[in-house]
Amino acid sequence: MAGLEGQATDQATLAEAEARISHDALRRFDDIFRRGAGAFSILALLVAWEVFARSGKVTPFMLPPFSVVAERIYTDAFHGDLWINLGLTLYRALTGFFIAAIGGVTLGALMSRSRLVRWFFDPLISVGFPMPKIAFLPIIILWLGLYDISKISMVVFDAIFPVVTATLAGIAGVDKALIWSGRNMGAGERQMMWQIILPAALPQILTGLQVALPIALIVAIIAEMAMGGYGLGGAMMTASRYANSPGVFAGIVEIAVVGYILIKAMAFIRRRLLVWHTETAPS
Amino acid sequence: MDGQAQIVVERVNHTYRPPRGRPVLALSDISLDIRPREFLALLGPSGCGKSTLLYLVGGFLPIEAGRILVEGKPVAAPGPDRGIVFQHFALFPWKTVRGNVLYGLERQGLPRPEREKRAQAFIDMVGLHGFEDSYPSQLSGGMRQRTAIARTLAIDPSILLMDEPFGALDAQTRSLMQTELLKIWQRSPKTVIFVTHDVQEAVYLAERVAVMSARPGRVKAIVETKFPNRDPSILRSKEFVEKVDQLWNMVRDEAIKAQEATGS
Repeated sequence: MAGLEGQATDQATLAEAEARISHDALRRFDDIFRRGAGAFSILALLVAWEVFARSGKVTPFMLPPFSVVAERIYTDAFHGDLWINLGLTLYRALTGFFIAAIGGVTLGALMSRSRLVRWFFDPLISVGFPMPKIAFLPIIILWLGLYDISKISMVVFDAIFPVVTATLAGIAGVDKALIWSGRNMGAGERQMMWQIILPAALPQILTGLQVALPIALIVAIIAEMAMGGYGLGGAMMTASRYANSPGVFAGIVEIAVVGYILIKAMAFIRRRLLVWHTETAPS
Repeated sequence: MDGQAQIVVERVNHTYRPPRGRPVLALSDISLDIRPREFLALLGPSGCGKSTLLYLVGGFLPIEAGRILVEGKPVAAPGPDRGIVFQHFALFPWKTVRGNVLYGLERQGLPRPEREKRAQAFIDMVGLHGFEDSYPSQLSGGMRQRTAIARTLAIDPSILLMDEPFGALDAQTRSLMQTELLKIWQRSPKTVIFVTHDVQEAVYLAERVAVMSARPGRVKAIVETKFPNRDPSILRSKEFVEKVDQLWNMVRDEAIKAQEATGS
């Protein structure tokens, strides 16, 4: 009797162990799959591109194969202007982004503190946010010329809106009890802003910055396309003018890679800044 | 008694004005004297304005009618003489346990070695030794409230305002925290105003209980709840149970009125 019972328990634990093993395997597979999923879809797209371009249904002029475009990027990198173009585009996009970040957070903070500032800027933001800022490009060119300053101004003009609105929303959502705690412990007005309100609103401010960063890159490239000269956007327009199809597609790929790296870098910074936040806490 | 009262609340009214909808009279004609180093509970049904009264004493809300004196001076703003502990802890989530406790000490301009020492002493006192570098999001509810209590006690307020501090904790943690609060209070007596809707908690912790009526909040009765000792064993004594019963009847009447008033 005892032996039988023992056997039954053994079987039960065996079944449990098996279940656990298969569950672990499933989870590991799931992990690999999830991590690989992003890369997989991109890989599939590239393969489809290559196959379609070589199928004979389109001319290489309309769609050069990815391998040709990749080769072109390689040549640009070692014998051409890739690094100058890339550097200039990044310089314009990131300078504009940082000005928009600092200006946007400052304006948002001032609007949340002062009724007068808010009264003045609220309508401007409501009108300005949904407007296609690129429509101001001709005016900006007239005022500021064709060089970096006009392109950076366009970037700031476009990227500042999501930062201001995110800062406003973040500050408005700060728990009253946190503010009272700060007051209670003797924080003055400036200390309240720097030590309590802005850190508490940081998750939302960072979300605003994460929206603003791709906008900054997009606007920098559009401005370059419209104004010509060096930079990824300008180089694409030049390639297009010379009917250089691989050059145009090389620009697309380069922009995609730069955008991807910027977004990943921003997400990394967010995780580092918000180690305290529940969203990044290990579960 | 007037001469020795530390906090004097005199004919205070308060109207709650929601952003939309009609203003509501939250507190009506509240008068209350609180003695130094007394443990007073504000007991009442939810929505009776007991937290509002606490915020008024804390200086967080403007006093519209009547006056509140602390040490003879009218309350105008929050100050470190009146430390507050909130139901939902209100810890700074971007600061560690140590950072939270240090914050008030930094604001008071204590030299660094002294504030480190002081912060550590209070962290040890609430039993969080070993968790100094944890963020609030990594702690349990009970540990978060311990951190909040350490943070408030560290600035050495003479008055401790507690707004349902154990209301968000589970029953076991709550009972442990009650006993610990009593220990802390007996070791370094402070004036405590403790807001709660838990009758047993009020009777166990407080020396006097101010029972508040349903909205608009009034002080309906003040009941002495002194016992020879504050051992958890008194919870089953006859006197204690009778006291709870007496107060429970008062609160229940008000809770029923409150429900009828809201038409639910």
